[in-house]
Amino acid sequence: MKKILGFFSLLLITGSLVMAQTVQITGNVKGSEDGLAMPGVFVQVKGTTIGTITGLDGNYAIAVPSSAQNLVFSFVGFVTHEEAIQGRTRIDVVLKQDLYNVDEVVVVAYGTQQRRDIAGAITTVKGDAIRSVPVQSFDQALSGKAAGVSITMPNGVLNNPPVIRIRGFNSITSSSNPLIIVDGVPVFTGNVGGTAIQNALADINPSDIQSMEVLKDASATALYGSRAANGVIIITTRRGSGARTRVTYDGYAGWTEPYRMFDLMNPEQYFNHKNLALENAGSSARLVWPTDASGKPIETYWPDYIYQKGFQQSHSITASGSSPTTSYFLSVGYTDQNGMFKKNFYDRKNARMNLDHNLNKYMKIGASIAYTNGYTESPNTGASFATAGAARLAFVLPPIISPYLNDGSYNISGSGIGGMGTGLSASLGYHNPVAIFDLNQHTTESERLLATLSASVEPLAGLVFKTVYGIDNLAREATTFWSPVTGNGYGYNGLASNDFSRNNRWTWTNTANYNKTFFERLTVGLLAGIEQQRTVGVSWEGWKTGVSDPFFTQYQGSWSTAQIGGGGYGENYYISYFGRVNTNWNRKYYLEGSIRRDGFSGLSRGNKFGTFGGASLMWNISREDFVANSGINNIFSDIRFKASYGRVGNMFGIGNYSSLFLYSSSLYAAVPTLYFSQAGNADLQWETSDKYDLGLSFGILRDKIQADINWFYNDVGNLILNVPQSPSKGIPGNSIPANVGSMYNTGLELQATSYNIARPNFSWTTTFNITFIKNEVTELAPGVDELRATTGGLETTNITVVGKPVGNLLAVETRGVDPTTGRRIFVNKAGKEVLYSHEAAQRWTFRSDGSAAPAISIATDGVPWASPLPKVYGGLDNSVAYKNFDFAVNLTYSLGFYVYAGSKAGIRDQRWWNNSAEVAETAWKKAGDITNIPKPVWGDNVSNGSAMAISENIERGDYVKVRNISLGYAFKNVMPDVLNIERLRVYAQVFNAYLFTKYSGSDPEVSTNADSNLAPGIDRNTAPQARTYSFGVNISF
Amino acid sequence: MKNILKGSIIFTLILLMYGCSQEEFMNPVPKTSLSDLSVFDNKTRIEAQVNGMYASLKSGQHLGGRFHVYNDVRCDNFIPKSTNLVTCYASWNHSVLAGTNEVQNLWGAVYSTVNVVNVFLEGLAQAWDEGKLTGVITQSEYDQYRSESYTIRAICYFNLMQMYSKPYHVGNGANQGVPLRIKAMKSAEENDLAPSTVAEVYTQILKDLNDAEPLAVASYSTDVLNTTRVHKNTIIAFKTRVYLHMHNWTQVVTESAKIVPAAAPYTSPAGVANTLHSDYEEIFRSPYTTKESIFSMPMTSTNNAGTQSHMAHYFGSGSDESYHLNLNDGYAFAALEDDDARKEMLYTHTDGKVFLTKWVDQATRAEWVPVIRYAEVLLSRAEALVRGGGGTVTEQAVNLLNAVRTRSLTGGDYDPADFATAQDFYDAVLLERNLEFLGEGIRNLDLMRLGLPIPGKSSPEMGTVATILTTGPSYIWPVPASELNYNNLMTPNN
Repeated sequence: MKKILGFFSLLLITGSLVMAQTVQITGNVKGSEDGLAMPGVFVQVKGTTIGTITGLDGNYAIAVPSSAQNLVFSFVGFVTHEEAIQGRTRIDVVLKQDLYNVDEVVVVAYGTQQRRDIAGAITTVKGDAIRSVPVQSFDQALSGKAAGVSITMPNGVLNNPPVIRIRGFNSITSSSNPLIIVDGVPVFTGNVGGTAIQNALADINPSDIQSMEVLKDASATALYGSRAANGVIIITTRRGSGARTRVTYDGYAGWTEPYRMFDLMNPEQYFNHKNLALENAGSSARLVWPTDASGKPIETYWPDYIYQKGFQQSHSITASGSSPTTSYFLSVGYTDQNGMFKKNFYDRKNARMNLDHNLNKYMKIGASIAYTNGYTESPNTGASFATAGAARLAFVLPPIISPYLNDGSYNISGSGIGGMGTGLSASLGYHNPVAIFDLNQHTTESERLLATLSASVEPLAGLVFKTVYGIDNLAREATTFWSPVTGNGYGYNGLASNDFSRNNRWTWTNTANYNKTFFERLTVGLLAGIEQQRTVGVSWEGWKTGVSDPFFTQYQGSWSTAQIGGGGYGENYYISYFGRVNTNWNRKYYLEGSIRRDGFSGLSRGNKFGTFGGASLMWNISREDFVANSGINNIFSDIRFKASYGRVGNMFGIGNYSSLFLYSSSLYAAVPTLYFSQAGNADLQWETSDKYDLGLSFGILRDKIQADINWFYNDVGNLILNVPQSPSKGIPGNSIPANVGSMYNTGLELQATSYNIARPNFSWTTTFNITFIKNEVTELAPGVDELRATTGGLETTNITVVGKPVGNLLAVETRGVDPTTGRRIFVNKAGKEVLYSHEAAQRWTFRSDGSAAPAISIATDGVPWASPLPKVYGGLDNSVAYKNFDFAVNLTYSLGFYVYAGSKAGIRDQRWWNNSAEVAETAWKKAGDITNIPKPVWGDNVSNGSAMAISENIERGDYVKVRNISLGYAFKNVMPDVLNIERLRVYAQVFNAYLFTKYSGSDPEVSTNADSNLAPGIDRNTAPQARTYSFGVNISF
Repeated sequence: MKNILKGSIIFTLILLMYGCSQEEFMNPVPKTSLSDLSVFDNKTRIEAQVNGMYASLKSGQHLGGRFHVYNDVRCDNFIPKSTNLVTCYASWNHSVLAGTNEVQNLWGAVYSTVNVVNVFLEGLAQAWDEGKLTGVITQSEYDQYRSESYTIRAICYFNLMQMYSKPYHVGNGANQGVPLRIKAMKSAEENDLAPSTVAEVYTQILKDLNDAEPLAVASYSTDVLNTTRVHKNTIIAFKTRVYLHMHNWTQVVTESAKIVPAAAPYTSPAGVANTLHSDYEEIFRSPYTTKESIFSMPMTSTNNAGTQSHMAHYFGSGSDESYHLNLNDGYAFAALEDDDARKEMLYTHTDGKVFLTKWVDQATRAEWVPVIRYAEVLLSRAEALVRGGGGTVTEQAVNLLNAVRTRSLTGGDYDPADFATAQDFYDAVLLERNLEFLGEGIRNLDLMRLGLPIPGKSSPEMGTVATILTTGPSYIWPVPASELNYNNLMTPNN
C-alpha cells in the first residue's frame, strides 16, 4: 500500500510547466464527400486546452504557442484529423466522413482504446441504434445487436428486465447476468419492483447513452476480476462536444398491444364441449348457459377485459456543447407508457448533467449526475399459477359467464368469480379480472441518483492519475392494496402493504495510467489501480389487514391489524487492486495482460481474497511486408489474429453472510423465538471461469465489409450449488451452498458489417451476427446426479444433469392418443405404455393388456426431454438511407431450442377451464380417430399435462423475429431564420413487428421464471409479447 | 506549479484515506440474525429457542393447519368447493404422488422441526456440560427444556408415521418406517440414512416421551402456558395416543390412569387439572385455554398458519377453497342428532352447503388449533379398557364414553346393555370420536390404527372418490420424491 502511495506522490510532483510565445495560424476546413465548407469544426492544439471553431465559411484562426506540434480537427460523424504544424501558418484540411468506424474509440475496462488496437472480444453498440426504440430500458433494445449476446424478453409486461446471457449460461445457481458498468460505476440491476415490476436499468434513459460496449472474453473482462464471469456491459453516457450548442429533441408516441393470443373456444363450443366431457365422465349433470339482462345467452371474450391498446409517449431534450475548457451535456426526459394490460403503466422522469472541465493544462475535473424517478403500476399479470394472474385469467375463464351480474354488480363469490348458475361451483376460485383491476392496486416508485465525480492530473505527457468517486443510490417503494370485496384481499378483509428499500453503493476508483511510444514503434500502456466498493441495502415492509372502512386504500389508512412486517439489512464490501500492461510493436504485434486481486466481505475470514487475470496476443498480419507486398491487401485489409486466455470469477452467488451459521428470530404466538435458520459454509469461494478465445478480424474491399470471428471456450468451475440435502435432515432450505459443480460453454460467433452502398445520397448497411453455442454441465455435487427446478414453486419442469445443458426440460414422455380408446398414451420409467382414464376406478392401465399400472408421476417417470437453450442465435440489421429517407429492419433469431408450452396444458385442461378452439374441433370422439387431443372427460387434469409436465407440451421454439422496422424522413435546415432547425426527422416504427415460428404458444421468446438458470424455457400462463407502433420526431437545432 | 502542488497534495490525502475502515467493512456482522456462538449466552435466548421449537411445530404445513386438514379431508366427511391442487384436492381424491407438494411439504416441515430440536438439544447439552450455563439456567429449567424438546420430537415422529408408514399393527411394526434423525444436522455430512422400521421409530417415540415425563414440569403459571407448552399431562396424553396406535391396551389404561380418575368427575388428579369443559363451543373460542385443551397451537392475527394453510381457510364457509360436510347417509353429519351441541357447531350456507364453525375467522386467522384434548384421552381409555379387558363392555368404559357424549347431547347416555357385542361398543367409540373431533385431524389416525378402509365419497360437483382399501397403494402417502432423490439409502414405502 505504502509503496503504491509513494510511487504516486513521486510521479505527481515531478510534473513541470512550460510557457512560450504564440503564433497565429489560419485555414479552412472542408468535407471530403461534398467538398463544402464545414462550419463548427473544433480546432485544438493537441495536448492543450487551446482551441477554436470554424465559422460558417469553414475558416478559422487560432493563436498557438510556438512549441505546439499538432492541430486536431474534430467534428461529430467525421474522422478526427491530426495535422502536424511544421512551422506553417496556413493549414487547410479536408475531413473524412466516418463511415466505417475503423478508428473509433472503444471504451474498455478503466479506459479507452482504438478499435484496431483491441485484442479482446468487445462488441460496441452505438446509442443511436436504440435511441428511438420504444422500450423501457436499453437492455431490451440490445436484442440481436451483438454477437454472443442473447436477450430474452420474459413477456410483454412493461419494464420487465430481459434475460441477458453473454456467451451462454455461465452459472447454475448464481446469477448469469453480466456486470453492468455505467460511466465507470457498477450499478444495481434486476427487478426492483414488487408485483409492479420495474427494471433497475430503466432508470438510465436510453436517449442519454453514447455507446454500449459488450466485453466477452477474459482479456476484455479480466480487470473486473471476481465479477466478470458473465461478461461485462459498459454504458457510456453522452458528453458535450462541438463548439456550437446543440439542442436536440427526440420524441415518439404510439400504442402497444398483444399479438398471437390463443384461439379460444367460443361460448357455444365451450358449452357443448364441456357437456360432452360431463357425459363422458358418466355424470348426469349438465352446464346451464346463463343469460344476460336482456335474456340473451352470455358471451364473453375475456381478453377484451384484460388487454388494451396502450398509449405510449416519450420525450427527451438534450443540450450539449463545449468551450475550449468546458464541455457539457444536459438532458431531461419524460416517458409515459401504458402497457398492453389494462392498468399497466410506466412513467419515468429523468434529468442528467454531464460536465467536463479543464482546470488548467494538467488537471481536469468531471461530473455526471443523473436523477430518475420511475413509477410503475401493474395488475398481477401472473406467470405460473396465481389465481389472480391476468394473463391466465384471459384464457382460463369460461366464455359463458360475465364479469358482471345482470344487476350490474361484479360477478363475485368470495375471493373468486362466481359460477353464475352455470352449474359450476358457486365460486370458481379464479378472480374476476374486472373487479380486481378496478379494486386492487400495485405500484412501485423508485428514486435513483447515479452520480460520479472525477478528477485527473497529467503531470507528464502520457501519465494520468485519475480518481473517480461514484454513487448509485436507489430507493424504492412498492405498495399493494387488495380490496376486501373480492380477490386476494377477501380473506384478509382487505390488505395493504408498503415495502420500502434503500440500496446505497459507493465506488471509489483510483488509477494511474501511462502511455508512451518508444522508438516511434513500440507503444506501451500501463495501468495500475485500486478500487473500493461498499453497498448497504436496507429494507422494511409493513402490512396491515382488516380495513376499517372501504374508503381506505392506502397503508396509511385505518386498519384493524398491523401485521409483523418483513425487512432486511445487508452490506458488502469489495477492495480490489489491479493492473494492466498493453504494448504493441508498430501496430503489428500486440501483447496485453491484466491482473486483479479482489477481496470480498461475504467470504469467511482468511478466505476473502482471490486473484484473477487474463492475457491476449494479437498479430496484425496486414502490416507484415509479405502480406503488404502480396496483393492480399487489395481484397483483405486489417487482418488480425487474436488469442486470449484468462480466469475470472462469479461472485453473484455469494450472499453477504453465506459463510455464517445463523439463528433468526420470530414469534410463537406472542412470545419471541430463536431458531436455526442458516447452515453456512465457511469454505465458500467464487465461481471461476477459465475463458479461452481465438479471434480473427478483417476487412474486405477497403473495409467495405468488416468481420469478426471468435471461437470461445469457457470452462466454468467451482460452481456454487445449493447442494440439496435430504429433506429428512431438516437443514434450513434443504440445501447448503458449496463450490462443487462445473460446466462449459463453447461456441463460435461471427459479427459482420457490410457497407453495401456508401454514397452521400444513398447508403445501405447490413450488420449480421450469429452465435453457435453449446453448453454442457460436467459435474454436479457429489451424490447429486440431478437438480430439479420448479415453475411457480408448484410444477417440476426442469432438470439439470451431468452431460446435458443446464436447465433441461423435464417431462413424462407421451405418445399421442390411443386411437382405439381415445386415451393419452404415457410412457413409464420402464418404457411401457400406460393409458389414463380419469373416470375409471383404475385410472392407470397398461396399453398392452389393460391391466392395472402404477400411477405415472413426474418424480419417477419424468425424463430430461429437450434443451431450452438455443444452439444458434443472432441478429440481422439492414439500414438504408436514400436522400432524406431512411429505412431500417432489425431481425433477431434463435434456433435449435425447445420450449415447455405449459399454457397449452391449461387450455386443454378438462376441468371447467376454457380450452383452445382446437380442442373442440379435434378432440378424440370415436374409435379410430387419429388426434393428439384425448377423449374429453370432465375433471381430467392429467391427460393434457396439468398434473405433470408431458412431452406433448414441449415444442421446438425456433423463431425469426422482425424486432423493429422503421421508416424516416429527414428535413434539413428547416426555417433557418426562425427556428434554425438543423435537422428534423420524422419516423414511423413497429417494434416486435412480426414473428416467424411454428411454436403454438404466443411467443417462444419467453421466460416464465425470469432469469433462472435452472428453469429456463418455460411458458406457463405467461403474458404474450407486445407489439408497439410508434411515430416520432428527432429534431436538432 | 502551484496547481500541480495542490493537486498532488489532494491526491495524496485521498490515497491516505484508503487505509481507513477497511477492517470493519471487510468483516460485517449481520444485524438481523444471531450467530450460533451467542444463542446460549443467556436465559432469554435459550427460552426463545425453546419457543422456536414450538413455533416450528406450529408451521401451517404441520400442526398449525395442514396436518389436521390432510387427516380429515383424505377421509370421508368433507367435500371440497374447489379442485385447486394447492388446497389439498389431491389429498381429498387420493391422487397424491411422491412429487405432490403436500407430500413433500409435510415431510419437510416435520423434519425441519426435528432438526431444530436436535440442534437445540445438542447445543444445550454441550453448553451445560461445559459449565457455560451455570448461573444462566437452573437444573430444573435444564430438565424442563429437555422434556419439551423430547416431546416435540416424539410428536413429530408420531405424525410422520401416520402419513408415510403402514400402521404399527400391520406386521407389528416390521414395515418400513422413516429415517430416524436424532443427531443435529448442520453440515453436508450424513445425507444418506436408511429408514428405520416402524417398530424402531415407535421405540424412539416412546423413549422420548418416557425420558421427558420425569423431567417435565407439572404445570405452568398461566392457562396460556398450560395449553401451549408441554407439561407432564401433555406427555401422558400423547402416550395414550401412541399406545392406542400400537394396540398396547394395557399401557393406554396405565398411562391414562395417571390423569383420569376411576370414576366421574373426570378431572386430572395430577398436574394441570385437565378436565372436560362443560360447553363444547367454548373450547374453540377465545381465550382457547379451557382445562380440556391439553395442548393447542396458539394463533394471533400476526402470527398464524398463513394463507391457504390456516384452519378457517379450509373449514370456514367464507373461502372459495373450503371443504363442506358430506351430507350423505353413513357419514358424521347424518349421525349427529339435531340437539347435539356439536351440530350447533355447523352452519348451513345459503347454497345449502354445511360448514364447520370451529374456525371461522378468515380475516385474522387468530383461532387456536387443538392438538390433543382431554376428551380424546377419555375415549381412548374407554376403548382400551374394553379391548384390553377381553371384550367385556364395562360400566367404567361406558361411563367414559358417556362423559364425552352427554356433554354435548343431553340424554344421549349409553347403557352397557346397549352393546350386544364388544364390536358394537368399539363402533360407538369410533362414531363418538368422529363426531367429537370433526375437523381436528383425528379421523385418519383412527382409520389407520384400526386398519379400516378409507370410505369413498361423492358429491354432484366433485364426482365420486372410491373407497381406498387398506391394501391399496393410496392408503398411505408415498415417500416424498425429494427424499428418494437425495437420500440414497431411502426406499419407497410400498
